[in-house]
Amino acid sequence: MRQKWLKLLSMMFALAFVAAACGSSDSADSGDTDTTEGGDTTAATLDQEDSAITVPAEDAAGPVSGGTVIIGLEAEAPGLRPWEDTWASPSYNVGDAIYDKLMEQTAEGDYVGWAASSIESNETLDVWTMTLRDGIVLTNGVEVTGQTIADMFVVQQTGAVSAGQVASSLLTGVAAEGNVVTYTLSGANAAFPSILSRSPLGMIFDPAAATADSEGYANAPIGSGPFMVESRDIDNETVLVRNPDYWMSVDGVQLPYLDSLVFRPIPDENTRLDALTSGTINGFQTLRQGTIRNARDVGDSIKILEFQGSNAGGGVFNTAVAPYDDLRVRMGLTLNNSQEAVISALGGDGISAPAKSWFSVDSPWFSQAAADVYPGFDQAAGTAMLQEYVDDATRSDGKAAGEVITVDLSCPPDPTLIAAMQVLEQLWTATGLVEVNLTNFDQQTHIGIALGEAPGFIGTHGAHCWRVSDDNDPSTTLNAAFAPADASPLNFTNYFDEEMYGWIIEASSTTDFQTRYDLYEKVNIRLNEQVPMWYSGATATAFATDTNINGIDSWVTPDGILGVGFPGVEGRWSQVYVAAE
Amino acid sequence: MREVLVSRLIRLFATIMVVTMLSFVISTFLPGDQVSAILGIAERTPEIEAQIREEYHLNDSIPVQYWYWLTDAVQGELGPTIPGIPVATDIKNRIPITAELTLVAIGLAVFFAVPLGILGAYKEGTWIDKVTSALAQFFLSIPNYVLAIFLGYFISVKLNWLPNSGWNRISNGLTGNLKTVALPAISIAMAEIAVFSRLVRSDMIGTLKENYVLSARAKGLSNRYILFRHALRNSSLSLITVVGLTIGSLLGGTVIIEQIFAIPGLGKRMIDAISQRDVYMVQGIVVFISVVYVLLNFLVDMLYLYIDPRIRSRRG
Repeated sequence: MRQKWLKLLSMMFALAFVAAACGSSDSADSGDTDTTEGGDTTAATLDQEDSAITVPAEDAAGPVSGGTVIIGLEAEAPGLRPWEDTWASPSYNVGDAIYDKLMEQTAEGDYVGWAASSIESNETLDVWTMTLRDGIVLTNGVEVTGQTIADMFVVQQTGAVSAGQVASSLLTGVAAEGNVVTYTLSGANAAFPSILSRSPLGMIFDPAAATADSEGYANAPIGSGPFMVESRDIDNETVLVRNPDYWMSVDGVQLPYLDSLVFRPIPDENTRLDALTSGTINGFQTLRQGTIRNARDVGDSIKILEFQGSNAGGGVFNTAVAPYDDLRVRMGLTLNNSQEAVISALGGDGISAPAKSWFSVDSPWFSQAAADVYPGFDQAAGTAMLQEYVDDATRSDGKAAGEVITVDLSCPPDPTLIAAMQVLEQLWTATGLVEVNLTNFDQQTHIGIALGEAPGFIGTHGAHCWRVSDDNDPSTTLNAAFAPADASPLNFTNYFDEEMYGWIIEASSTTDFQTRYDLYEKVNIRLNEQVPMWYSGATATAFATDTNINGIDSWVTPDGILGVGFPGVEGRWSQVYVAAE
Repeated sequence: MREVLVSRLIRLFATIMVVTMLSFVISTFLPGDQVSAILGIAERTPEIEAQIREEYHLNDSIPVQYWYWLTDAVQGELGPTIPGIPVATDIKNRIPITAELTLVAIGLAVFFAVPLGILGAYKEGTWIDKVTSALAQFFLSIPNYVLAIFLGYFISVKLNWLPNSGWNRISNGLTGNLKTVALPAISIAMAEIAVFSRLVRSDMIGTLKENYVLSARAKGLSNRYILFRHALRNSSLSLITVVGLTIGSLLGGTVIIEQIFAIPGLGKRMIDAISQRDVYMVQGIVVFISVVYVLLNFLVDMLYLYIDPRIRSRRG
């Protein structure tokens, strides 16, 4: 009897595991990828002080057509309409595969044509004339002409996301004649080509289909890009297959190289890394130092492509509310921020470089003069400034002289951010002049608090965790970030300096690099002197892949110019390939 | 029977009303603005903001907003979501996933727990009983997410037997589906096996001491017949209750497991919806879970009537 029971139990366990583990086909196994065999490329990361771009070794065999690559994203790309849906990094990964951009950024930071063969402006920079390449066809068979771009503008004028950018870019009209498109602006905008390199205005879509079924377009988009949607199971996987009529070739080989490209949202960072090492996926994106560290620990069985650009973490002060409306408090707190200690708490030792200005050292816009005036860690100087405010009988927070300053420090409830907050809390309270209230709200609420409500858009935040800057043209972030707050909800510091804003506008009114550089340098110096951000290091990002996945960091534009790579872990997938064994 | 049905329907209605009202009111206390939740950090114009406020009735009072939601909901319109897919469609797409995960986990749990429980009762006090009891205590004390992480690492990363994340729908092939359901289902099932087997064991111990069981033994009936035909049936009432309630709670309670294994089920969507301030989606899922929970309770009551003739005759 005993033996019978034991046998029965053994069989039950065995059956359960066999049923689960048996079978030979699975989408994770598809394609020509191999997760255990080493490829013929290795990645060499340059010193962070010298460059943030990881340079791949040569792949002697060159690109190979065919295969499937499965990429894990940090979140779902919730809506794929450029004009209607806000795009974060996951959306750009999927969107870049489906849509052609009009312009693209090069490794040098310039903007050159992608679907456009050329773009030029008049002398006053308020009329831009763009010529489209021939032979671009949407995946529903509709040819892309100048009229397509003009009709897109009709949709973009009322799109939930695009309408704001139409207004901020000063765009008032789009006219077409053949493949020539004329953009008319209400004022000078030197950075207009950069606007055409991203969503919401830079992606080519089918305006007729968008008008006919906008909701449907969110998950069944039509573009002219290298891939098209085969299936989309929201929150699970989006399967793209190659666009057989894609117009672009490299060295006579039609793009894209891959037969199919699959995106899977895997929110948990550890699960995403495990998915790669277990062969469930072939690559993933991350914006977390901790994950990069763990990926490095995996060793040579995976390839890590790291990128740190101008985007940096830390936080901003809401200068519209006390006590942050007083420069002594802003400077005093910033001087008491040990960036190295915070980076360490975030797990970024040896990964994140300290930040000192709106632009990183490898940005063409970086200014040493601006970085030099950043209020780095200096407890004595910072405490002196705070003491001056505390002793001020007319201090802005209405408290009596001698009372401690109350600081509301808020971050999203990420464990590493909480650890960093605690370091900051200790540093600030160690002055004996500050009490810190820590709060955590989910990402969406955190953003909502800083955005505030109309009219005014002041927000209710105090010292607020935030990321600033990116690697696009400076005007794309600075113009909105420091415009009058009531006109620009994206001015999260609520800081407005008429003179500085004049420099920002002036920089948008010329294409002369040196003139723009000088103006942005003055802006950066002013920012560091008046509204410093308490930095927690540059945002470390990475793609981790199987060793035989190539092309993420080495794609070229249709004119053969080396592209910008993958800032913001936004991959361009048309030239990604699985290396031959 | 009709009284039971009417009583359950009234309870269903009242539960849904209270739950939806509470969740609606609570969601309005969240800091931040719903327009910001919809637009994110995109640039916006006052016209766009006004349009969204109008579309989502955000200019109205909370009771009026709730009324709009309720009148739409009774017509099957659970509201728009952010962005693209109507709430009802999104929930409909996810129900099969969470339902399958729940049913497979419960199925596994019952499949292993019943024999283990019977074995424990039949061998009460022996080393077999002690081992099964110790194992039950062990798995009961391990949170399912810890087991999930361990299984993911060991089975997937180290042994490469199964994928550690994602979901293959049955429509894409049973093998692929079983591969993705295995680890999360086992993670959930282990603790339930412990609960169910302990329940069956204690019930069976009591039943096996009943006079009619002694009588059956005296008549020379086989142990198997006595255990499964007489004892198990009479010991299964509490198991059915607990299984029913567990299914109900798992339909909304596999949140962490779905998150760890990146499974696009209802629990994961619920968490996303809360963090995105997607009030309509939260409401939709809350309604679904509460309806299922009350219906399952109703079903359990009906099963009581079927299994135990004494209850049938009392209510009759």
